[in-house]
Order: sequence, then C-alpha cells, then structure tokens
Amino acid sequence: MKPAPFAWERPADLAALVERLATAPGSVKLIAGGQSLGPMLNLRLVEPDLVLDITGIAELRQARVEDNVLVLGACVTHADIEDGRVPDLTGGALQRVAAAIAYRPVRNRGTIGGSLVHADPAADWLSALTALGAEVEIAGRNGRRTMPVERFVTGALDVALSPGEMLVAIRIPAMPEGAAWGYVKHCAKIGEFAHAIAAVRLEPEAGRCRAVIGAVEGPPLLLADASPLFGGRIGPDFATCFDARTADSVLAASGMTDPVDRHIHVTVLARAVAQAARPVRSLLPEAA
Amino acid sequence: MSAGLAEPAAGRIALSLTVNGRFRRIEAEPRSHLGDVLREHLDLTGTHLGCEHGVCGACTVLLDGEPARACLTFAGACAGASVTTIEGLDDDPVAAELRAAFNREHALQCGYCTPGMLVAARDLVLRLPDADERRIRIGLSGNLCRCTGYAGIVRAVMSVIAARRAGGIAPEAGAARALGPVGARIGEAVAAPLRPLAERPASLAPAMSQDLAGAFEPAHRFTQAIDFVHPPDAVFALLGDIKAVAACLPGAVLTGKPAPDMAEGGLQVRIGPIAATFRGRARIERDEAALSGRVRGAGSDAGGRSATEGEIRYRVAPGEAPGTARVTLDVGYTLTGPLAQFGRPGLVRDLAGRIAADFARNLDACLSGIAPPASGLNPLRLLLGLVRARIAAWLGRS
Repeated sequence: MKPAPFAWERPADLAALVERLATAPGSVKLIAGGQSLGPMLNLRLVEPDLVLDITGIAELRQARVEDNVLVLGACVTHADIEDGRVPDLTGGALQRVAAAIAYRPVRNRGTIGGSLVHADPAADWLSALTALGAEVEIAGRNGRRTMPVERFVTGALDVALSPGEMLVAIRIPAMPEGAAWGYVKHCAKIGEFAHAIAAVRLEPEAGRCRAVIGAVEGPPLLLADASPLFGGRIGPDFATCFDARTADSVLAASGMTDPVDRHIHVTVLARAVAQAARPVRSLLPEAA
Repeated sequence: MSAGLAEPAAGRIALSLTVNGRFRRIEAEPRSHLGDVLREHLDLTGTHLGCEHGVCGACTVLLDGEPARACLTFAGACAGASVTTIEGLDDDPVAAELRAAFNREHALQCGYCTPGMLVAARDLVLRLPDADERRIRIGLSGNLCRCTGYAGIVRAVMSVIAARRAGGIAPEAGAARALGPVGARIGEAVAAPLRPLAERPASLAPAMSQDLAGAFEPAHRFTQAIDFVHPPDAVFALLGDIKAVAACLPGAVLTGKPAPDMAEGGLQVRIGPIAATFRGRARIERDEAALSGRVRGAGSDAGGRSATEGEIRYRVAPGEAPGTARVTLDVGYTLTGPLAQFGRPGLVRDLAGRIAADFARNLDACLSGIAPPASGLNPLRLLLGLVRARIAAWLGRS
C-alpha cells in the first residue's frame, strides 16, 4: 500500500503550473486535497512520474461573487462550504451537499475542483452542480474557456480536459427567489459513495425544473426540462404531480435495465422532490 | 523549501513542519504519506495505519488544528504545516476528558482505532452543539472500530459533550480559517526532481497459468448488445478470426500465434487516470450452427497484483434492419486485488458500452474492407473492474 515513486512539485503561481503541466516529460497528475487521487496512488492504480500540487496557488483558494454568480476556486474544500466560509447564493443548497460528503477529515482536505475532475459518477458534486446549472472554468497555455458541468463530464472518471488543461474554478449561478431545491442520496453506510443520487432545482413560478439522476453508470442523467416528470406542467403543487412511472421509463430509456436499480433511483428522486416541497434545514445526512 | 536546508538526497524532498509544537526538518520520498513520515522519520508510532486509502480513519491526525487523513496527505503537501498527533494531545484538556471517558465506558479493546478515534471525537466535542447520539454516530462514521460495536465510544463522546455544555463551555462555531485544504495554507513551493524516466523499472507482466476448463461462478454479470451493419453470418465469421478481432479492439495485442481455441495476449487500457496493461489467456469455443460462442479468460495486470477471471457468451442474431446483425454478450467476471478494491460494478458497465461502440465501429469498417485503426494508441477509455475480464475474453474471442 505504498505508491510507486513519483516526483513532487508545488508551483507557486498559475502560469508556472500550466507551463509545467504542458511541458513536463512523462506522465503528470495534478493533486489538490488528494482525497480521490491519494487512494489511487496508494493502491498503485495510478503511477505518475510527476505529481503537481496545485494548492500553493492563491487564486485557486479563493471564492467571490461576480454578477450574481458564485465563483469557487478549484481548491475550495467541502469543509469550507460546509462551514459557510464561502458566500452562498443557493439558499444553503451547496452547504447541505458539502456537509454530507464522506467524512469530516476528508472534507477538510477534499476539494470541489478535485472531485469534479475525478468525475466519479457516485460523487456528490457531479450531480449537484449539474442540477444547479454550474459551469467550469478551464485554463491552459492558450487561455481559458468555460463549459457547463454536464458537458465537462463525459463518462465515468472521464472529463473534457485536453492535455495541458486544468480546471481552475467553478461558477455557480444564484438560485432565483422562490426556487426550490431537493438533494437526496442513498448510501448503505454513511460517508460511502452513493448508490443513487437525485437533485432537483425547481422554479415553480416560472414552471421550470432541472432534475439530475446520479450515481448511475456514466455521467449523471440530466433532465434540463423535467416537466414530463410532473405531468407536463410545473406549478406550486409540483410535489403532488410527481409521476414515478414516467421517471422509471426515463431511466429505462437511458439504459438502466435492472428494475431494482430503477426502483432505488426513482425512490430517491421522489424523495428529492418531496424535500424541495418541504425544505429541510438540517445538515445531517438522510438516514439511508 | 526553507532557507538553510541542505540539498536533499536524490529522489527526496526536504521540508520543514511543526509536529506537536516542535519545529522539525525532514527529508522524505515524495511518495511518503504523512503517516509514514510521522512513524518512520519521527518515531511517532501513535498514529496507526489501517487501510491506507482513507476509509478506516485509524491514521486521523490534526493538520493545522483540523482532523485529516495522514494516509492521504503526501509529504510534499505538508511543507509548513502544523501537525498534532495523539502524542501531542497528552496535555490537551478535551483529549484528557475523552481518555477518562473512554476508560470509564470501555470504549476500546484492542486500541488500534483509538488514536484516530480520539482525534475525531475531540473534533466532535469541540464542534457539536449538544450530545446528540445520531450526530455523534454520523461524526464517527469515518472511523472504523472492529472490537467495541461503537456503543461505548458513543457513550464516552456523549458524556464529554454533555459535561462540557452543562459546564457552560459552548461549541466552537467554526473558527475563521483560510480557504483550501488544511495543511496547504502556507503555499511554500517545494520540488523534488524528476527521476530520469529511463530509471523506471520495467513492469513484470506474468501471464497467468490458470485452468480455463473448470467451472466458473462469476461475482458480477451484465449483458451488452452491439449492433453491426453487416449480416449475421459475416459478423460471426469475423468473430472467429482472432487476429482481426484483436486489430479491432483498441489497445489489444496478441502474443504468440493464436490457435482456434486458445489465445494469449494483452490489453492496454486507460480509465480516467488509471493506465494499465493486462495480460492473460483465453479459451474459445464456437458453435457454428447456433452462431454463438463462449470465451473464458483469466489474466493479471502488470505486477500481477490484480487478478481476474471472466466469461463472455455471445450470440449473433439478425438486427432490426435486413442485412444487419445484433450481437448479445452475456458477461460474467470476478476481480480481485487493488482494482477490485477500488472499482465498482456499475462503472464496469459504462465502460462496456463505450468499448462496444468503438469495437463495433472498427469491426464494421473491417467488414467493409477498410483497415482498422492502428491498434494500441486509440484513446479508448476503458473502465475498471471489467477491464480484465473483458480483456481476456475479448481477446480470446478475438
């Protein structure tokens, strides 16, 4: 359980990091908190020649609000969000997701950027940020670009970063007045990777809903217009209109063949919808 | 790195940090994690190592005053950090109250989890508003104890919290701290030079010699369908051509000359950050009349730490449109070793779908007389567990 040898560098600024990432010989992995990459290194599933520690870069450890968008640097930790050390434009949605990720010692080092780039389908931020309509900001030697999270995550453990590129920030739009949020995951043991995740972001007055079904086999399943789940119309009574059979057929059409899997995911989705109708204030994980 | 430090030895990193209040300078391999640095370099063996992948919590220490996994914190990430181990909590009042409560409530037996448990419990005592059993159990869920059943531990932590709150000691409301991972605040630049790449030892890739004839009960199963734009007979015939199939499977290589019923080879796979080469053997059976077959394979990754056995049964049937074929694969596999520890069966199926799509495209091209792509370098993203089962199997059928 010891990693294969690697070199370690901790560049002090972003320009140096991006340059090194693009030009270093051999295989290079970026590390932030190391809570996803660390186990893979220890298990020797990943054997890079060079590990580039990105936590020395001040820009990546910042959070700010820009035109009603919360911009979180890639190295902001789950605990930073859980403890309210970053601004919140989501009515506490981010905070509740963060507080239930893994365990406190993991949250103290694990970062939102690292979690997204690792792109484990069962990780919380993949589903939550997709439902919130967040974007990622990517930097490389040729400048920066942004893209929505749902396009960034291309498969299990697979993201749309080109060689030499890195994720530098996540941009999360403010939740509008009157919007409702539900986020539920199912874990057999608290803190483990989820077996099913559901996130819903509803605007009953505008008749809009984004729904995400996560912890599936690939990227989270996004229903950018989730009105079919509510009989085609979303209003203040959305919770009573939720149609489990439509949700089930959506999952079947997406390739989820096991009826037990579909049942669990539909149940978790129904709970997320119910939670959106009656928001919880507790940061405690759901009791399985 | 800090001024005044001598150049570190080759392949080592020099760093300074504060451990239990004392300034320390150490040299360590970059791959050393904080747990090893504490135990091997500083003789602080109170920090225990259990799973070494962040699950068991035995190695939990305080990093910049906050609990963190020592096993997932590499040496280079600790430059300038302040570390407190269980040895450093001797005079800590909260830890003293917890030790007394652990004794009173029989909250330990073998003691292996106790150092990490005390560090995690101390954090709960400081932060939780009251002695709520559920919150305490949730808070301790990242620390595994195999002796006590947790009952005594939970009672001990509850009693300390209750006593402190009754005595008017309020919970800490999350002290102000800078953003970012604990331990990484100082931002000191460190570097350990790259070894010349040629020094890397060549991986040993032993081909497994496994009995492929006996009964096999896989741990995981799934079904995968692949559609081809060519008729069933042509597809079935090509599936019997091991060399052609290997050429259509990105990353695959055959070693030696395949026989009709046996093939040996390897598959290079890339799954997110994981790159691995698997080698193995496969035994092939075909039923010409039923247009079906069975491939049974076994193999291991370079270094031989993960092992797999797998079986694919396939049937070629007419597709929906005339002149097309649909191949249905029933895949069963068993995986052991680090990959199994890391992987989850669900991820395997995502990979299966992606492989199938590429494979079908290449095979269709081959049937159309177009050369398949150069093998081995296609950035096909293969996935975890499945890898191996599938590899041996595909290869074989291939």
